[in-house]
Amino acid sequence: MNAAIIGQMAISGALMGLVYALIAYGFQLTYATSKSINFGQGELVMVSAFFSLTLTNLGLSQHWGLGLSYGLMVPGGLIFGAIMGLVVERAGVRLALEQKSEGWILLSIILGLFFFSAAENIWGRDDRPFPTPIPEEPFHVLGLAIGPREVAVAVGVLGIMGLIELLKRKTLLGKAFEAVSADRDAAELMGISATRTVMLSYGLSGSVAALAGILVSPITTVGPTMASAIILKAFSVAVVAGLDSGFGVVLVGMFLGALESLASFYLGSGWREAPGLVLLILALALRPTGVFGKATIRKV
Amino acid sequence: MIRQTAVAMMLLAASGLSAADTVKIALTGPFSGGSAPMGVSARDGSKLAIAEINAAGGIQVGAKKMKIEIIERDDEAKNERGALIAQELAAMSDLSGVIGTVNTGVCMAGDKHLMEKGVTKIICPAAGSASMTQWSKAGVKDLSIFRFAAHDGIQAAMVVEEAINRKFTKVAVVFDSTNYGVSGRDDMLDQIKKQGNKLEVVAQEKFNIGDKDMTAQLLRAKSAGAQAILIWGIGPELAAVSNGMAKIGIKAPLIGGWTLSMSNFIDNAGKNGNGTLMPQTFIEEPITPKAKAFIDGYHKTYKVDRIPSPVAAAQGYDSVYLMAAAIKQAGSTDTKKIKEALEDLKEPVKGVIATWNHPFTKWDPADVTTHEAFRREQTVMGMVKDGKVVFGNDADRARLIKSATTATPAKTKKK
Amino acid sequence: MKRILLLRGAELVVFGLLAMIPLWVVNPYALGLLTLLAIYGILLIGLDVTVGYLGQVNLAHVAFLGLGAYTAGLVVTKLGLGMAPALLAALAVGLLLGGLLALPALRLEGPQFALATLSFSALSTTALNELEGLTGGAQGLSLNRPPIFGQVLTPPLFYWLCMALLAVVWMLMRNLLASQWGRAFEALRDSPIATDAMGVGTYRHKVAAFALGSGLGGLAGGLYAFNFQYLQPQSFTYDLMIILLLGVVLGGRKSLWGAFVGASVIVLLPNLLSNRLLFQVFSGLGFAAALAAGLQGLYKKTTRPFQALAPVVAMGILVVGGLFVPNTEDWRKAIFSLMLFSVVVGLPEGLMGFLAIFLAKLFRVPHAPLPEPADIDAVLPLRPSDGTPLLVIDDLKRYFGGVKAVDGLTMTVRSGSIHGLIGPNGSGKSTVVNVISGLYTPTDGTIALRGVVLPSGSLFRVAQAGVARTFQNLQLFGELTAMENILVALKGVYQSSLPMVLFGLARGEERRAQAEALALLELIGLRDQALTKAKDLTYGAQRFLEIARALARKPDLLILDEPAAGLAHPDMLQQIAIIQKIHQRGVSIILIEHHMDVVSELCDMVTVLDGGRIIAEGTPEEVKRHPKVVEAYLGQPPEPQLDGGPAPQPA
Repeated sequence: MNAAIIGQMAISGALMGLVYALIAYGFQLTYATSKSINFGQGELVMVSAFFSLTLTNLGLSQHWGLGLSYGLMVPGGLIFGAIMGLVVERAGVRLALEQKSEGWILLSIILGLFFFSAAENIWGRDDRPFPTPIPEEPFHVLGLAIGPREVAVAVGVLGIMGLIELLKRKTLLGKAFEAVSADRDAAELMGISATRTVMLSYGLSGSVAALAGILVSPITTVGPTMASAIILKAFSVAVVAGLDSGFGVVLVGMFLGALESLASFYLGSGWREAPGLVLLILALALRPTGVFGKATIRKV
Repeated sequence: MIRQTAVAMMLLAASGLSAADTVKIALTGPFSGGSAPMGVSARDGSKLAIAEINAAGGIQVGAKKMKIEIIERDDEAKNERGALIAQELAAMSDLSGVIGTVNTGVCMAGDKHLMEKGVTKIICPAAGSASMTQWSKAGVKDLSIFRFAAHDGIQAAMVVEEAINRKFTKVAVVFDSTNYGVSGRDDMLDQIKKQGNKLEVVAQEKFNIGDKDMTAQLLRAKSAGAQAILIWGIGPELAAVSNGMAKIGIKAPLIGGWTLSMSNFIDNAGKNGNGTLMPQTFIEEPITPKAKAFIDGYHKTYKVDRIPSPVAAAQGYDSVYLMAAAIKQAGSTDTKKIKEALEDLKEPVKGVIATWNHPFTKWDPADVTTHEAFRREQTVMGMVKDGKVVFGNDADRARLIKSATTATPAKTKKK
Repeated sequence: MKRILLLRGAELVVFGLLAMIPLWVVNPYALGLLTLLAIYGILLIGLDVTVGYLGQVNLAHVAFLGLGAYTAGLVVTKLGLGMAPALLAALAVGLLLGGLLALPALRLEGPQFALATLSFSALSTTALNELEGLTGGAQGLSLNRPPIFGQVLTPPLFYWLCMALLAVVWMLMRNLLASQWGRAFEALRDSPIATDAMGVGTYRHKVAAFALGSGLGGLAGGLYAFNFQYLQPQSFTYDLMIILLLGVVLGGRKSLWGAFVGASVIVLLPNLLSNRLLFQVFSGLGFAAALAAGLQGLYKKTTRPFQALAPVVAMGILVVGGLFVPNTEDWRKAIFSLMLFSVVVGLPEGLMGFLAIFLAKLFRVPHAPLPEPADIDAVLPLRPSDGTPLLVIDDLKRYFGGVKAVDGLTMTVRSGSIHGLIGPNGSGKSTVVNVISGLYTPTDGTIALRGVVLPSGSLFRVAQAGVARTFQNLQLFGELTAMENILVALKGVYQSSLPMVLFGLARGEERRAQAEALALLELIGLRDQALTKAKDLTYGAQRFLEIARALARKPDLLILDEPAAGLAHPDMLQQIAIIQKIHQRGVSIILIEHHMDVVSELCDMVTVLDGGRIIAEGTPEEVKRHPKVVEAYLGQPPEPQLDGGPAPQPA
């Protein structure tokens, strides 16, 4: 096959992979502070996208124009995502962490199930388009068709990740975050509230999920099941990259996305996921803490 | 202990249900999850018809008028739940009939329980061919399962015919990885052979439910030189295909099963969907007063400005009227008598899709069409145009208006 | 005996009632639900092995259900064999593939394990979908229920078959899980390092447990195939897996009853909720129960406010929402999730965990009486302390990157002695212990026990070679009782083969083992706490228990890693006494310690490390006077006060 086709596939796969990476980043945020993951993160992506859609339509109905209502919707969606993240933390995670049990896995799944059902009843069961001021017509670079919306995804993903990483390094709150990630007990002794930091991480993670929903919706549509396939990929990316690896998710996400695209081209579309899955099991077997994760020395 | 209580409660509940003087009809289908737009549309269409009938006092059963009572079950498109629901319904002694099911697998796993008990069921709105052919294969002599949907055989024939008529020679067959998609592929390949191998299938591409990036499949189709894409799938993935085609610059038309008329395709494909062709049994255009009343009624009752799946809703609506007519004719709520009446409906039934004149005949294992209501004539080519499905050609439109007002030709048993 | 009778009685009654149901219930729906309940019972018992006992989130179980189902289906349709071989094949495929998957996956923990198993599930679905020629792909596989042993299976007969298999699985698993195997499964969840160090073979047991659980998944799959008679790959995906996980945890982990109750909840509840009347009954009862329990918990201050109130709120939403929602069928998943939420928050130990506590209170069932302790001389025979070289370490090195934690250590431990290994923080003594015991691989050098080179880099094989150790940071099996902690490590008693264990023919052995464990507990003064969970013991008692557990290995060499760390004075005295008792029995000991006084009191010989090298060696008295030692400890030349006076008392 010619290089243009391979390039096209790699690029469109990799851009999808960036969305995996962004959601994976949300997993990392909560794992860092609390060693827990919201298994209902996909539902957060979905309800936030629906909420943002409602906001957009609200703006549109008052003739503000798409650009303006989009400007209103993005912060609104992010705040909603953060609130939902806090709800998950309060209702599903905190108790389990206090009891040092693995109940958070179940509670986060159960909350996800509830959000799913609620969304079906509130917003309907159908997939709907998400209006966006960004045009759809692809532009061509070196013979490759690239959609402006995909570029927006890339910019948004890297932008928010960069922003959060910057905050973590430059602000006091961010330092507290890093401290709790490094050693929860020591941080508590230093007067940092671990509970608040975990709340912060869930809020941020919710916002990240909301942004993922907002960015991906114009490409994939909004519907109750919109995130069910993406979320498993995102989880894979987070774990393979290493749950503590920060930007590693970007590389792994893009690699996985491109690999899936190429696999479905060369092996047939039914086997699209197979090479990724095999590589994943191998990567885990060889480097359990993730490709970019820190190797740990067992201490007793 | 919990089990004992549960069993006791089940019995309690079963006895609580058996209030007298109503006709019990079960509506089933996927009301949550990915297939829900179809299941819910069909259910709501059926409920609309039931509300109309009840508002008019109910069905005349023998001497008295009886209202319809709805028993609703969500099968979540899961075979396992479908089987349990079928068992539950089969165990109800006073159930008159069942309407519903979208997913072929659910029919395969569940309908045998209904068949064994002789419970009358009208499969609606979808389900691939296998949902009926399983009975021929098993050589069932007496069947209580009917189907009220344009079966995939008809649809595939029309899709292939359309591609040939448009002078295409090389096509790509694209389908989803579910039972529906794969059996659609088989039907299309079968029809291509039957219609004289005039089309060369240059690529067979599959996608999974939830896939959003179809670049790889489409590039394969494009590089193989496909002039048209024949597609079989459900839901928003179809829109992803259409959008992907626009992105990588495939100008070929998309032709496929009736699900291309669902709002989740049309909305999400936007203008990329224009020109997409699909067989339709009902088009959300108020071409007849009956259709207008139905469409307005649906919009008003369910507070929507467009039916998620007009085809499913209309079929759900008409199937209730068929069932009601059979109950009236049988003069009984006994499901076995209703089945016999359904096989031999004396009076034409006015529906929103057509006026149904003797749609079913006595079951013949060698000929599944005996229990299939739809024939080629009720089906037309629809085309997506600016967010709506319109008639693909005007001759069809005229014909449908005619068939909705005059009775369809009576179905006679083939000899 | 009363307890056993009660438990067996409850099992008999429940299974008896379940077996009789088809005689008086003719409703095929109820029978269908109960058949599925039996199948899910087997499935969840299998899942509980990995989720409950191994403590890992296993997302592959649904794949084994699917693979088992397809195996059975293909055996019947393609090979034309009957039901019995089909079920056996399903079981075998589960066992085999489970074992294979376990090899790479079980090196992982937590999220990584979850992901590896999830990937396996996805691969299995892909394979079933794509191998159309074999499986029929997405169009599914239809099969008929063949006769078994010539008998056509009507629904009641099939139900009895499923129930009978559940009863058999129940019995075998009960025997297995109550045996040394089950204890090992539980132990390695609490501390995989300690199981290895106790010679249990963490990895081997994990693979066995996973294969076993998967085998049961396969068997359940076979029954599933004959129950539904139609299979599709997408039935066996993540959605169902989540429900199964919920079932195990809801019912209560590590409990056969829990698996069964969990199966009842996930099979019956979603189906029953379709009925509006039942929904109202359930939500009303649930609300009342949550309110009563919540108020009581708040009043007695036994539960946190959130734990008490959240279920009340959740059930309140159900009751109130139920009045406003016109169509509860639309909200079924939300209703289901609110109910599950209340149960998980309100009863973190699961329904059965809660019921077990409740029933135990109600019936006040005493634990079966323990046997008399065995004679300690039989358990730990006196050994001659001949002073011959036992452990010889030659030029041992262990580097971590550029850090030379141990840099050329040569020392000899003599048989029957207590050899102290001391040094300031970071001197490398813990690294030495970790290298000897096999946790770390040495960078260079050799270690030999009685002239035989010790395996390197494997806790398990070193333990097998006769070295036992304790841990500075306690590595007890917290969820096991004190006695069970010892039983896990106990060497030389358990010899019955797996089939014997499965059929419950190893009971005598268990009594002997208990007697030996009690003897060891008596040695450390904890006999009266034999049935206390390790995590509930006092800190001192936990330290003693670590030693007793290591002794259960009947080791040639016992390594005690800071056995007095953090102990209060009385406990420290007791600890010294315990170590002396052990010493008197002729056990050779390496003692790592900070407390100079403990070392002086106990050791025959002391090696002092600093910066990974030996700076002094000799008797305690000699070493204490050694200028380098004093310098290393105090950072200044020796002062006369330090070594004066009689044998030092612990400060």
